[in-house]
Amino acid sequence: MPEEKDLLERRLSREDLLRLAAVTGGAGLVAGRTGLARAASAHLAKETGRLQVLDWAGYGNDGGQSMFAQYVKTHPQNKPRFTYMGNEADALAKIHAGLKPDLFRPYVGWVKYFATSGLVQPWDPALISNFKHLNPYMVKAGQYGGKQYGIPDDWGFDAILYRSDKVKPKAKSWGLLFDERYKGKIAWYDDITMIQAAGLYLGFKNTWNQTDDQLKQSQKLLISKKHLVRKIWSSETDLWQLFGSSDVWIAYAWPNDWVQMKKKGLKVVYMRPKEKPIAWVGMFMLLKGTSRPQLAHAYVDAWSSAKSAKWLEDNYGYGHANTIARPSSSDLLRALQLTNLRAVTEPNAYMDRDIPRRALYAKTWEQVKAS
Amino acid sequence: MDVALSRNGRIALRALFVLVVLFLYLPIVILLIFSFNNSELPSFPLSGFTLHWYHQFLTNGDLRGALQTSAIIAAISSVGAVVLGVLASVALTRRRVRGRAAVSALLLSPLVIPYVVFGISLLLLFHTVGIPRSILTVVIGHIVISLPYTILVLVPRLEQIDVSLEEAGYDLGASRLRTFRSITLPLILPAVVSAFLIAFTTSFDEYAVASFVVGTRTTFPIYLYSALRFPNQLPQVIAVAVVVISLSLVVVVAAEVGRRVAERRLGTLES
Amino acid sequence: MAVEGEAGPPPARLPRRRRLRLDLTTPTLLGVPVAWLVVFFLVPIAIVAAYSFDVYSLFPGKHGFTLAAWREFLHSSVYLELFWKSVKMSLIVSAIIVVLAYPLAYYLALSGTKRKYVLLLVLIAPFLTSYLLRVLAWKVILGDQGVINTFLFWTGLRSADHPISQLLYSRFAVMLVLGYVWLPFVALPIFVSLESLDRRLLEAASDLGASRLQAFRRVTLPLSLPGIMAAFLFVFIPTLGEFVTPSLVGGPSGYMYGNQIVDLFGTGFPDWETGSVLAIFLFGVVTVLTVVFARFLQPRQVTAG
Repeated sequence: MPEEKDLLERRLSREDLLRLAAVTGGAGLVAGRTGLARAASAHLAKETGRLQVLDWAGYGNDGGQSMFAQYVKTHPQNKPRFTYMGNEADALAKIHAGLKPDLFRPYVGWVKYFATSGLVQPWDPALISNFKHLNPYMVKAGQYGGKQYGIPDDWGFDAILYRSDKVKPKAKSWGLLFDERYKGKIAWYDDITMIQAAGLYLGFKNTWNQTDDQLKQSQKLLISKKHLVRKIWSSETDLWQLFGSSDVWIAYAWPNDWVQMKKKGLKVVYMRPKEKPIAWVGMFMLLKGTSRPQLAHAYVDAWSSAKSAKWLEDNYGYGHANTIARPSSSDLLRALQLTNLRAVTEPNAYMDRDIPRRALYAKTWEQVKAS
Repeated sequence: MDVALSRNGRIALRALFVLVVLFLYLPIVILLIFSFNNSELPSFPLSGFTLHWYHQFLTNGDLRGALQTSAIIAAISSVGAVVLGVLASVALTRRRVRGRAAVSALLLSPLVIPYVVFGISLLLLFHTVGIPRSILTVVIGHIVISLPYTILVLVPRLEQIDVSLEEAGYDLGASRLRTFRSITLPLILPAVVSAFLIAFTTSFDEYAVASFVVGTRTTFPIYLYSALRFPNQLPQVIAVAVVVISLSLVVVVAAEVGRRVAERRLGTLES
Repeated sequence: MAVEGEAGPPPARLPRRRRLRLDLTTPTLLGVPVAWLVVFFLVPIAIVAAYSFDVYSLFPGKHGFTLAAWREFLHSSVYLELFWKSVKMSLIVSAIIVVLAYPLAYYLALSGTKRKYVLLLVLIAPFLTSYLLRVLAWKVILGDQGVINTFLFWTGLRSADHPISQLLYSRFAVMLVLGYVWLPFVALPIFVSLESLDRRLLEAASDLGASRLQAFRRVTLPLSLPGIMAAFLFVFIPTLGEFVTPSLVGGPSGYMYGNQIVDLFGTGFPDWETGSVLAIFLFGVVTVLTVVFARFLQPRQVTAG
């Protein structure tokens, strides 16, 4: 029927117009073609092949399928293909070595670094239907120069987990990680974020950009207290094993660690240090020069849905930027303070941010481990 | 009178030997006990007998995949190492080689390099040349690692064989290749098999180099290493450990016994 | 290598034999394995060396020959102290297990026991099973709620609130596990050198009035020295660069030089220059050690009969 066909073409036109607007380059396609719709669908047809995703372990076909199930349903020809990143530095190395993912997922502290590196391009939020449900403070953290370089997804806090039946902290402070009374029962996290925690404890104004002198102080503190540490953990399940076997009573930890230890029947407290906890947020970033930007947007949209968000909260114990989603566990809800949109930023917590002298921080931390 | 050991000495040393062997096998026995223990945490007191963990690991697809990957890598790399090892050993024992010391040193040098250095150097090589990390890159690394072992097994055997047997072959008009195939090869076959097994077990068990160059696949040791951090996977891993250790013990013993029997039958052992 | 004392083959054969004697195949025979090692062993190490001098880098930025990374390595005490710490740990482990392995090898080689090869196999077999699994076994044994501690609780020797915590995640754990792993392997070269000892020398010594102990000190020990040195090197060199065991059972105090290399290449912000410097330094030390001690070794020490 001519009417239906008209309707169809009009619907196609609107969507395709939006998509075309988002595409950088390839404008020549539109010129000289009869009918925007035809041009738009021709352009859409150009995005072929599987979507190349660079993500952390557990978020691909190794367990994270529910996060992007919606995308797979709507784009069966462009199923995602995963390469795994051990951490952002590893991702950086892989990209420099020639890997060409379409999108990847560093954390909020790296947004500025990647935004200014020339390796990524901004997203078009208009193409992400779930964008309006995302926590505005997290969204802001993903912006640089007014552009949306990062789309927030999972998030959590860094704070202190301790056994209330074994430990009596002198104060609600990061200092519990350096408490001489609990020698051999403390676990630190294997990341430069320990330097930030040390800086917070020492009272530095900007712990993400410490001066040389401040860095030396932080390093000195960490080295001098290292003898109290039983293990410097790097994978969460390491931590669970240490806590579960009572090898460790105090640890630098995430909200889900508290939930899991409580499930094991341990008497644990997730403590908010008075110097403020640190908040971290995962950020999807779009690689420059990708041939599948629209597919990437669709993938991120699937990830940002309330359904995926709830799955993430229920199964991995992290928060999700989608503010509608609620986990089944009331404990997790409390630990993540999900009813408070401002939880991730001041005055409640310090959002992790760019570290201008990251290489120096890294070297400092490596030397702490080597000492 | 025994010139090397007094009676007391012998008793003392025997006791020491027994103690050490117990010490060596005790952790393995403990693994065996806890593989049947009905609890997630391996600790005393015991919680009852169960076959659950064995069942779990048999149905664990990831684990099977890792075992398979390791087996493939081990098979290919040991064949490669043995082939290269035979070439090198024949050259070293049957030919005049100029700069023999230097060549031997080079061929044996992977024995002394710490694997962390070697793993990293391979990582850099592949990054530079642009070869993506995969099973192939692990195979390449494992051939390098296993090659010295194969040479160390083959060279003594080749030296042991009476050269005049090969000479007879030439006298009868056979080409070098023919002589090798018909005379030398059957005689060194037990050593070749031994070399293959050593290369296989070395590769199958190798973690360090594989962790650097395997890319996205998982080998068995890599699976183990990450599983060691998963408390709920620990009992399963213990069950696997028992199976793998038992199997390798059986293989090792069978291989060594087989080799000795074969070599004795081939009748070329000296004195 | 002409066949002697025999009516030779008909003269028509001789030219053919002489032609066959041309060593055209040797370069090919040796060439392939040597080429493999050059490409996949020497070249990669050269690349790491180039990386340490910043002659080469994978990341964009200004690069050019510089000794900066090396200078920092040598001047900042952190890395050298860590290296020294690893050397000490390896030395202790190697010394202890060589001393422990010697009597075992002695017993097998010289006590005239009929089943010496079987017993040797029994001793060596654990070494040929999975390394990681044996480390795992110790993790299970040494933890706060591990086999040893819960056994102590169970028998009442220690209260459940006070496990012995230093067993795991400590320098002790690393050295214990490394010793355990390498002990079987270390016995082998010592056994080989003792086995090739001519008993008649000992008999001669006894005839000359020497006691067993004197004979041991004057005859056996010196003659088995190459075996001892081979054994020592065989364990010292690998443990120097160890990172797997320390990462599993070492905790912060058991952290070794190899761990720092791995971390510099992996975690945090990639610091491949410093990592390369550390790697080449370790490689250099190991090479020097090998060359110095190789003069004392013969390949026979290394192979089992």
